[in-house]
Amino acid sequence: MLKYGYGGRILRVNLSAKSYKVEELQKSWIRDVIGGRAANSKRLYEEIDPKCDPLGPDNMLIFGIGPLTGTVLPASAYYTISAKSPLTHILGDSAAGGQFGAEMKISGFDQIIITGKSENLIYLDITNDNVQFVDAPHLKHKTIFDTTKFIREEKRDFAVQVACIGRAGENKVLYSSVVSSGNRKNGRTGMGAVMGSKNLKAIAIKGKGSVEYADPLGLLELVTKMKTKIYQHEEYDKRHQMGTTMLMNDLNSIGILPTNHFQQGVCDYIDEVSGEKLAEVYKVKNKSCFNCNVHCSRYYVTDKIEAEGPEYETLCSFSSKIGNDDLEFALEMNHYLNQNGLDSISAGEAISWLIECQEKGIIKPEEVGGYQIKWGEKDKIRELAEMIVTRDGIGDKLANGATNFSKSFSKEAQDLVMQVKGLDIICGDPRGIKAYGLTYAIASRGGDHLRAEPYFELTRKYKLARQRFGTEKAADRLAEDGKAALVTWSEKIALLTDSLTMCKNIGLCMDILDFEEAAKLLTMATGINYTASYLEKILGKAIETDYKLNLKFGLSTDQDTLPDRFTKEPLTRGESKGSVVNIEKMVKEYRDLHNRE
Amino acid sequence: MCETSCSFFRSGQTSRLRSRIKVVNIYETGIDGPVVCQQCKERFCMDCPVNAMSIGENGQIIISHTICIHCNKCMNSCPIGAIELYEDVYYVCDLCGGSPKCVENCSEEAITYIALESESVSLADFKKESKRKNVSEKQANFIMQSGKSLRKKWRKENA
Repeated sequence: MLKYGYGGRILRVNLSAKSYKVEELQKSWIRDVIGGRAANSKRLYEEIDPKCDPLGPDNMLIFGIGPLTGTVLPASAYYTISAKSPLTHILGDSAAGGQFGAEMKISGFDQIIITGKSENLIYLDITNDNVQFVDAPHLKHKTIFDTTKFIREEKRDFAVQVACIGRAGENKVLYSSVVSSGNRKNGRTGMGAVMGSKNLKAIAIKGKGSVEYADPLGLLELVTKMKTKIYQHEEYDKRHQMGTTMLMNDLNSIGILPTNHFQQGVCDYIDEVSGEKLAEVYKVKNKSCFNCNVHCSRYYVTDKIEAEGPEYETLCSFSSKIGNDDLEFALEMNHYLNQNGLDSISAGEAISWLIECQEKGIIKPEEVGGYQIKWGEKDKIRELAEMIVTRDGIGDKLANGATNFSKSFSKEAQDLVMQVKGLDIICGDPRGIKAYGLTYAIASRGGDHLRAEPYFELTRKYKLARQRFGTEKAADRLAEDGKAALVTWSEKIALLTDSLTMCKNIGLCMDILDFEEAAKLLTMATGINYTASYLEKILGKAIETDYKLNLKFGLSTDQDTLPDRFTKEPLTRGESKGSVVNIEKMVKEYRDLHNRE
Repeated sequence: MCETSCSFFRSGQTSRLRSRIKVVNIYETGIDGPVVCQQCKERFCMDCPVNAMSIGENGQIIISHTICIHCNKCMNSCPIGAIELYEDVYYVCDLCGGSPKCVENCSEEAITYIALESESVSLADFKKESKRKNVSEKQANFIMQSGKSLRKKWRKENA
């Protein structure tokens, strides 16, 4: 049995039979994927029926952590949920921090694999080796806060960690989320709907073990150095103060802040909705994930609500992207989306896409049940979000995602959905960040940046760029040269953070982690010998597994592209004015580097 | 970080249950905080039937694991749940011999260690509330009550 670092076991739960079994995690199985997201993908690749209905009993819902999750490594809180996505019908996965992953670790489980479907709404109560299937009619339609609170009170234990779904997940909104630690969302690709389809309201977990290390003293020395590096980082104060909301001003200043659904990259009321304003006026406290020394999350209080967050993506989705200049409204929506378990990026895309289509007269009110909505119409945005959560009226269609809904309209309307492979693109206009554009195009879960997070292109570290990627242009955000090489490298580091696990904001964006460091960390923690070159090799292989898994799911190879807006319409204002993405060139270079057809 | 530091420095392992300081998160209130021995005036835990407990020079509780018979009395009598049994050992803060690792590692400076000069805190009010509560409920109650004034301040400032 794997004694060090890993939990060492896998929990398999069959909800149809209400049965479970505990298996040993084999070193030979895990070694070439490390853990976390890469291990989840390997599990799906080996075991899932690719033709299964994502909302049927055969879909596999996998919670996974890595050998360093919940350890002394700073920012090691992350866990990943993977399944076949009901939104995109390809690989779906989403990660979150908080406390749930660390609790999984001391429960001794590296993966929890859930299949089948319960007849009635239940929650899983996991305490080390004991799993109970608890009827949960009293939790139906409860918010995340209430579900967490009720379960903890019921169990008379406030150390229990709960990952659950809200009304959106219960109603199988295709982009609903799983939420743990009150506000930490596995937001993307509809993992909440998969959980909802299995009639599983929550997983409550309480561990009674501890993590042992092969070389605790060596590990301590290494993580102490890493902590110091984090404290001394030039962005430390800013990240601590604002978290990811610092990006509102950062992205606006380089002209790529999605405004009115990517029609512009500059927002005129940026000071009204910035991370700075949020920190100054509404923030009352920093919040932290397990064992983090940046603690970038924030608690805020307005005269109507109080909650944790928001992160940049939610803030942007419900301010500039949707034409809303009222920060308090964005804060209200953050709370609403968190508590009902709805992905803010896809919800924001569905609503702002509809607004743009109506502005352009492409979708008439009579085509959408008489509904007419304009930029920043707060009451209607609020109402529409509730209609999505409850699948009421037009909300029932929007709950299937903008891409799916757009298929009932003209090609013009379809082209206006900012998506790749059916997943709505994040809030960063690729016309001013080309490596991100490439990442959206090739990412194995669809239009998303986290597969590579090529933050390096924003650093202007030209010398390092030449060294690492053969051209200074890799550090020039508007250039396309060198970006395939950058993304190929960055993709491995991103997968490394997802598999160890470590927070990407720290490991990758703050450039704290590299292969050498990771190899040492892994060897000291697990006692399994890792080298930098071996890590690079297996991560490359794991990325190809994702690709092959998607081919099994039936994905055609011509979908590594971007919406026309980004490749054909130049931005008209700001620091990225005149720019479009030459996506074909970058994708070709990328595919050549990966030996793909 | 306080929990992981505490647990790691004493055992070379990571586990909340091996930590002598325990963070409780009450998500719906925004309040989270560490529960740790307050060296209270009353010293409710000291009424040990086999005299396994003593008070050290820094005011810290010392439990003799050779004398201890695991009767849970100290754990049950602490009003805030600062003593907890894990694998036959009662975990309670002993101040790491005078330089607590949790204080060293708290980057928010939320935990401070001040050598006691004035009068100790009283936990009499918590004692009254602790009847029929288990350790976890007492910990949660302590953090909730301690957070009340903070929450009042937030509302005053922001609402």
